[in-house]
Amino acid sequence: MTRSIERVAAVGTAPERVDGRAKVAGKAPYAYEHPVERPAYAHPIQATIAAGRVRGIDTARALAVDGVHTVLTPDNAPPLRRGQDAELEILQAPDVAFRGQIIGCVVADTPEAARHAADLVAVDYERRDHDVTLASDRPDLYRPGEVSHEADTEDGDVDAALAGAAARVEAEYRTARNHNNPLEPHTTVAVWDADGLTLYDSTQGVHSLRSAVAEVFDLDESRIRVLAPYVGGGFGSKGTAHAHVVLAALAAKRMSGRPVKLALTRQQTFTLAGYRTPTVQRVALGADTDGRIDALAVDVVEQTSRVKAFAEQTALPSRTMYAAPHRRTTHRMAALDVPVTSWMRAPGVCPGMFGPEVAMDELAERCGLDPIELRLRNEPDRDPETGKPYSTRNLAECLRGGARRFGWDARPAAPRQTRQGEWWIGTGVASSTYPVHHAPGSAARIERRADGRYHVGVGAVDIGTGAWTVLGQIAADALGVDREDVVVTVGDTALPFASVAGGSSGTTNWGSAIVAAAHGFRARFGDDDPPAGSEHTESAPENPDTERFAMHAFGAQFAEVHVSADTGEIRVPRLLGVFAAGRIVNPRLARSQFLGGMTMGLSMALHEEGVMDERLGMVVNHDLAEYHVATNADVPSVEAEWIDEHDPHVNPMGTKGIGEIGIVGTAAAVANAAYHATGVRVRELPVTADRFLTA
Amino acid sequence: MRVNLTVNGERRRADDVWEGESLLYVLRERLGLPGSKNACEQGECGSCTVYLDDVPACACLVAAGQAEGREVRTVEGLADGDALDPVQQSFVDAGAVQCGFCTPGLVVAAHDLLRREPDPSDEEIREALAGNLCRCTGYEKILDAVHSAAGAR
Amino acid sequence: MQGSDAVELVRPDTLEEALAAKAERPGAVPLAGGTDVMVELNYDHRRPEALVDLTRIAELATWSASGGHVRLGAGVPYTRLIDELGDTLPGLAMASRTVGSPQIRNRGTVGGNLGAASPAGDTHPVLLAAGAEIEVASVRGARRIPADTFYTGVKRNALAPDELITAVHVPSAAVPAEQFSKVGTRNAMVIAVCSFALVLRDGHVGAAIGSAAPTPRRVPDAEAFLAAELPWGTDAPLPDSLKRRFGELVAAATEPIDDVRGTAEYRTHALGVLARRTLTWAWDDHRGSVRACA
Repeated sequence: MTRSIERVAAVGTAPERVDGRAKVAGKAPYAYEHPVERPAYAHPIQATIAAGRVRGIDTARALAVDGVHTVLTPDNAPPLRRGQDAELEILQAPDVAFRGQIIGCVVADTPEAARHAADLVAVDYERRDHDVTLASDRPDLYRPGEVSHEADTEDGDVDAALAGAAARVEAEYRTARNHNNPLEPHTTVAVWDADGLTLYDSTQGVHSLRSAVAEVFDLDESRIRVLAPYVGGGFGSKGTAHAHVVLAALAAKRMSGRPVKLALTRQQTFTLAGYRTPTVQRVALGADTDGRIDALAVDVVEQTSRVKAFAEQTALPSRTMYAAPHRRTTHRMAALDVPVTSWMRAPGVCPGMFGPEVAMDELAERCGLDPIELRLRNEPDRDPETGKPYSTRNLAECLRGGARRFGWDARPAAPRQTRQGEWWIGTGVASSTYPVHHAPGSAARIERRADGRYHVGVGAVDIGTGAWTVLGQIAADALGVDREDVVVTVGDTALPFASVAGGSSGTTNWGSAIVAAAHGFRARFGDDDPPAGSEHTESAPENPDTERFAMHAFGAQFAEVHVSADTGEIRVPRLLGVFAAGRIVNPRLARSQFLGGMTMGLSMALHEEGVMDERLGMVVNHDLAEYHVATNADVPSVEAEWIDEHDPHVNPMGTKGIGEIGIVGTAAAVANAAYHATGVRVRELPVTADRFLTA
Repeated sequence: MRVNLTVNGERRRADDVWEGESLLYVLRERLGLPGSKNACEQGECGSCTVYLDDVPACACLVAAGQAEGREVRTVEGLADGDALDPVQQSFVDAGAVQCGFCTPGLVVAAHDLLRREPDPSDEEIREALAGNLCRCTGYEKILDAVHSAAGAR
Repeated sequence: MQGSDAVELVRPDTLEEALAAKAERPGAVPLAGGTDVMVELNYDHRRPEALVDLTRIAELATWSASGGHVRLGAGVPYTRLIDELGDTLPGLAMASRTVGSPQIRNRGTVGGNLGAASPAGDTHPVLLAAGAEIEVASVRGARRIPADTFYTGVKRNALAPDELITAVHVPSAAVPAEQFSKVGTRNAMVIAVCSFALVLRDGHVGAAIGSAAPTPRRVPDAEAFLAAELPWGTDAPLPDSLKRRFGELVAAATEPIDDVRGTAEYRTHALGVLARRTLTWAWDDHRGSVRACA
């Protein structure tokens, strides 16, 4: 196993976040707010067809607008290196792969002039019929290549086992197209000078962004610096580089030295910043009379953009959740004329725990079992996918503890039993899980300075997670000093390499690096008062336990749902999540993370759906007025608890990552509770009032 | 055009303002006050909430020219030097801040709520802050922050 | 610095100046709370030749009550309407409470709602049900347009190009038998999936739907049925059959579409529910007043 921190003093306490004061005072500079001299402003020109090519662009009216400097088009844009990432290789060819794709850019003295001029650009298109319709019976579905896991798995004889099962559920479940919508839209400030390119960017990974930009501009990474001290949320949408970053850099290149600021509008983020594919999940469960699952099949159909393949690994969580000897999971994709799909909070896992966890609810009913009991009976003692032991798996404790706290025992077994006035009332449960991801290579630098404090530098990014704060807690314990003696700096490629803030892996990767660096620092300079200037940089070592154990966090989500018998309106007065996610470094910050994830899950359950207008090939509700996310008034009570879990294998801190698990399973719990309330089974998200018209 | 207004107690002047320009743009780009955030441009998210003549408004929906001669108070004007306003301090203490992008607007909206209703109920808080979207926190800790600020006043 | 197609901002201090400006530039767009117009400007969806800022005109931001009517200036924000006229115009106040967020209610106005004339505007059903009149003015003079004939199409109204909305005249509720209800997908910040208003007054019934037809509209058959069948002047409870029939007549008057907020079928169903529900509440108000008088 890995070498743990020896003394736990700061870890587990709840200091306030180090970036809190600056944020509440309005003085934390986000990307767009970095002061630069005499900036110019860029505004993208976006395709208004979904498929075809640009035949010609008339920029005369745009160029006539006061303050406009240039209009970049495929005809005049600087060349980029091609062949790696077609999403980023913009303005190199006239082809249009989706509506909203960047086909040009206006650079002007003010954002108003740039935006207005962009609207004045006249584009002549050669249209092709577009195809934006996801359907599970399309003849052209294809099997994606391996991403981090294989696309398909098969063990035993699923069809035979299903045919012989005493209880069976076979149904199709659907999740909607979801848009990340961090509160801060994506922004970039690009500055070229003799040394190279500087980017102030709202990104989840300064180093990963630098690599992507270096690649497409064919630049040495040492000539690019990316800074992101404050980032207004990401939820995956800032985890990979998107085209607007390249556009800002291209525009700045054209402006020879003058900084260029580019802020995507909220509407533009719906097409240019990634989103979660809608999914169709065909789920089959077969069990014996005791509810032991003998067969499991999860066959997923989802979409990807023609311009760049992205495979949402939706069947992944079902591979590790349930013990079943006969099992099959598949992914099939439709390549459509749609914007690029990408990461959104708990990619794969979040949608992938909807179908199976509603199917489990249905199976419980077929078997005459309580849904919690069914889950407990199907707890595997080893990871069903890999055969490895779990480093820790405390799902059962989460389910049992949550049931006690939620008052589950008082629940009537049958649906449609409780009515208060106009409202049908029900409760539901679903399991939650998220893998412990490890990414190699993160490093940390520790320096004792003349102020007597230990300055810890790591190129991590705090997108609101609290990384900045908890890394200081980890460093303090790893160095054996008080937290007040540690100063952490993040968000800059000038700092040692750090992996992206994604996959709930930040604390694991960056924390491990800090622990390694601290131990190395102490080994070099001793435990007592090393002189100012003592400095040590070290990378996180590989953790051999990752090969020996299956590592996942688990949780149980409970929901109470009220459905109006008259209008079908749905209210969720109560959510409870109980999680087993390793050691919690900072309870104050962690609780809000869990609660936020659960609330986003509630939002997914009831509100969130990007509605595709198939004639136009675009999502029509592309703003916050029409794409609804949960408001303060939608969440009367959300509670998050965790069990005290000690996992010596995951990493030196014993942490499993908490950024994503909160959203996993919430929607299934809500849908299951809505069924328990009304007797109406909804297998498609979002769960909307019209589904209950017959209730 | 030129716009004269009072911001956080100081007389300020903005020149070359475009007639359709929002107060939010003037604050952020012309007056060096980026605390109020631009996140939707349509009054849906509340991130740009400021006091306009003592009444909270979305600065993105106020034409700069409409603010001529009026008083604006932004999140930057709530603290007294380094001493945070109790509402701001409560947001930090309660763990109600994550990415922080919704925070300035929320702080102003909560500040206004507590002036009108010194001891609001959960329901009153949720309703009063319904126009301030937060994607990180799930709102629970924001509720705690407002309650604790109410207690601190 | 500015782009081409310059926009002029006119900031009149008096209504007279505003009307002169509007007469001079019929394409000028009135700007009050900005909740619609500023969005269009921010998005560069429109770039009018001029904007006329109405927020400096004191007389637009006042209201007065006399002779059983309230004259509500077009520039009175929803928040003030709710705070100051909640008892006098309960239906309008109810609808105003459901508009957007506190920030939006602080700026948005009934006049702006009328100017935008969105089928989903929250105050329209109440204005229709209450028999309100919209006062408009131009340099040619003032006139009143009954709410009935004000809404002429999706986001279109009966204003002439040189006219401004100056006020609404709403009969005040001697008996507060006015109800408004709407269905939305969230608990706040809700654009109506559908909405309904009902006003009961001395043998008169006003009822109107929102978000369920190209324009907000009254439902005459349902109104006539109820006016004839209600046991006016008594505090008798209403039979379920009457409520049901009313709901059916309201549902029959809808002409909804499917959109991202809801299906046409759902809207029709939900309006039947809202009709029965508001009738129950409004009749309870009526019964309370009958008992108080007895």
